[in-house]
Amino acid sequence: MGRRVRGSVVLVGVAALWLGACATATTPAPVPAPAAAPGKPPPRPAAYQSEDFIVTFAQPGDTPETLAERYLGGADKAWMVEDYTGLRAFATGQEIVIPRRPWNPAGVTPGGYQIVPILTYHNLAEQAKGRLVLAAATFREQMRYLKANGYRVVSLAEFVEFTGLNRQLPQRAVVLTFDDGYRAFKDHAYPVLKELGFTATLFIYTDWVGAGRAALSWAELRELAAAGMDIQAHSKTHGDLRRAQGETEAQYARRMQAELEQPQELFKRHLGRRSPVLAYPYGRWEEGLLPKVKGYGYVAAFSVRRQGNASFVRPLAAHRSQIYSEMTLDDFVKNLNVFQEENLR
Amino acid sequence: MMAAGRGWLAAAALGLALGGCAVLTSTTPSEPEAGPAPGPAPVARDPLAARHRQQAEALQRDGQLRRAAEEWKIALAIAPADAQAREALRALQGRIDQAVAEHLDEGRKALARGVHVEARRRFLAALALDPFNRAAFDALQGDTREVEFITHTVRAGDTLSALAQRYYGDRSRSEVIWETNHLPPRPRLVAGTTLKIPEIPGVPFVHPEARRPAPVLAAIPTPDVPRPGPTPGPAAPATPPTKEEFTSEINPLLVEAREALERSDYRDAIETVDKFLSGKPGDQEGLTLKKQALYGQAKSQIGARQYGESIQSLNQLARLQPDYEDAPALLRQARTRVIEQHYTQGVRYYREEKLRQAIAEWRVVLEMDPGNANARRNIDQAEKLLRGLEQRMKK
Repeated sequence: MGRRVRGSVVLVGVAALWLGACATATTPAPVPAPAAAPGKPPPRPAAYQSEDFIVTFAQPGDTPETLAERYLGGADKAWMVEDYTGLRAFATGQEIVIPRRPWNPAGVTPGGYQIVPILTYHNLAEQAKGRLVLAAATFREQMRYLKANGYRVVSLAEFVEFTGLNRQLPQRAVVLTFDDGYRAFKDHAYPVLKELGFTATLFIYTDWVGAGRAALSWAELRELAAAGMDIQAHSKTHGDLRRAQGETEAQYARRMQAELEQPQELFKRHLGRRSPVLAYPYGRWEEGLLPKVKGYGYVAAFSVRRQGNASFVRPLAAHRSQIYSEMTLDDFVKNLNVFQEENLR
Repeated sequence: MMAAGRGWLAAAALGLALGGCAVLTSTTPSEPEAGPAPGPAPVARDPLAARHRQQAEALQRDGQLRRAAEEWKIALAIAPADAQAREALRALQGRIDQAVAEHLDEGRKALARGVHVEARRRFLAALALDPFNRAAFDALQGDTREVEFITHTVRAGDTLSALAQRYYGDRSRSEVIWETNHLPPRPRLVAGTTLKIPEIPGVPFVHPEARRPAPVLAAIPTPDVPRPGPTPGPAAPATPPTKEEFTSEINPLLVEAREALERSDYRDAIETVDKFLSGKPGDQEGLTLKKQALYGQAKSQIGARQYGESIQSLNQLARLQPDYEDAPALLRQARTRVIEQHYTQGVRYYREEKLRQAIAEWRVVLEMDPGNANARRNIDQAEKLLRGLEQRMKK
């Protein structure tokens, strides 16, 4: 459209203000910005604000990011604009309601509740090999899919706050985790994550750290932590943490001391902090294990049951979904369900 | 962007603005050109706030209390001096608090009875109304067990107490099945429908098949089992599970359709049940399933904002049973949404100067809702503008 006719577009836009206001009341209709013509009613302010909400009008080129920057103090809050309006793009002048603070930390609505998928990867390589070595290209494709489809990768720490009713997460929140501590993470996963601005958690079992060419060393883990990756514990030996048949109470207690406490000591020595989160080796756990896990200072722990997590999941029995090398993109997408429908009215 | 140098168009736009809309004129000051008032200008605020007030009222009527409260707050953000809105919000908040307290209370009672499914539903309902509610959240997370279910396909002769005996070894547990499935008082169990049999913490399932995936194939009715009685009271003697119990009586197509329905694959369910019905037209079980599938499909389409499609599903459902659950209300809702979509699309086109397309959209609105004065007025205005533009072009 040429420059010559744009003036009338603006004016028709003004007319549309009133047309928009006439739409039936159940969906907010777009409202364009006021024309600052002389002799007209006093212009509307750029935004109305209360302690809960900001009501404003999109300026040309506005995105959830620019609005979050302007009104919420940072583009990282763009998800609040996006989730509340249900929109990722705006018409100039459109009325936009922005919540100033969390409005649904539990993620529960009359139609169901939010669930957060936590994806689990193991090793990566140029070529896939077996179920647990994913081709680097497949991983890249999956991460780009997340980005392109509006998923928001959040940190495991944020997820843990969500399970305490202490943080609202974006509706399309996803957590990424990598088990064991393979060096391939650094070569194949980290560059992709960095490019896309994603974070991830590495669950390492401490006997494996520095144990050969395929394993990350403590120095490398420190570098990754400094670069924004999160490191958590995956036991000492990667042994099944459930009580074995015939194991006496004393033997079991000693074994758990090694599996659960030794990683904590190594974390303190090498990373300067303890590990508040645990991934159960093989994803296996039982009720009797939970008090021990808690006793050694873990506040959250994960199985590999293939389902997402509601805010009210028991944090020591949360779920992760393993991503296998043979999965197609469609299979992968099936692990990304972020809402559990249930009629709660 | 550009100075307002096109007087006639500006006037047309203003005319349109003053034309306003029926809904809003009652709340818009009658003299929009009144001099500058001290403080925020009511002219700019009112229509904007009014829309949120109306939305709040509509949501409130629809029982969506939390969303309604948010709309009141939004209206108040725009017009903080609106005492009526403030009062409405206060009253609504009282209603919400009361409903939350009821859900909490019922949830705790259900926990005390050991009915975790009902407790979970109550605590979730409390959180849906108040997603910050710490008591509901903690009860859900700490006290309410994740409950495993068995899906039981009802067969001729089933009664709740017989099922309780069969799965828990205790016919007095029939209450739990009744409550979990939200059955009416004195339910009549319909063969082919499914019931959730919940695990009761502390009461192990005794049925040998209970730990297996849902037994989808129903049994041949045994002669010693009475017909389904109207009462869930003590009636049926326990039938020890026999081998025949898992042999097929139900048509495999019906089983397939039911499975599709259970995994919410409505299209598959409908196709399969249609195949079944073509061989057995009028079969009650088949029709029940088809209605469930159409209803589920319509709801999921509404959830996905595919309102046009949902109208088709609901119309099909209405042909089978016009008063099925809340289908009539859903149909009205979907129609309103479609009308809105066309209306808004018209506005969008209008703004892009695609006047003909805008008119076409509003005509659709009029076809669906002939009394829609706004659409009619917009069409008139757009046609007027169009004529003006055409004359200009000629010059």
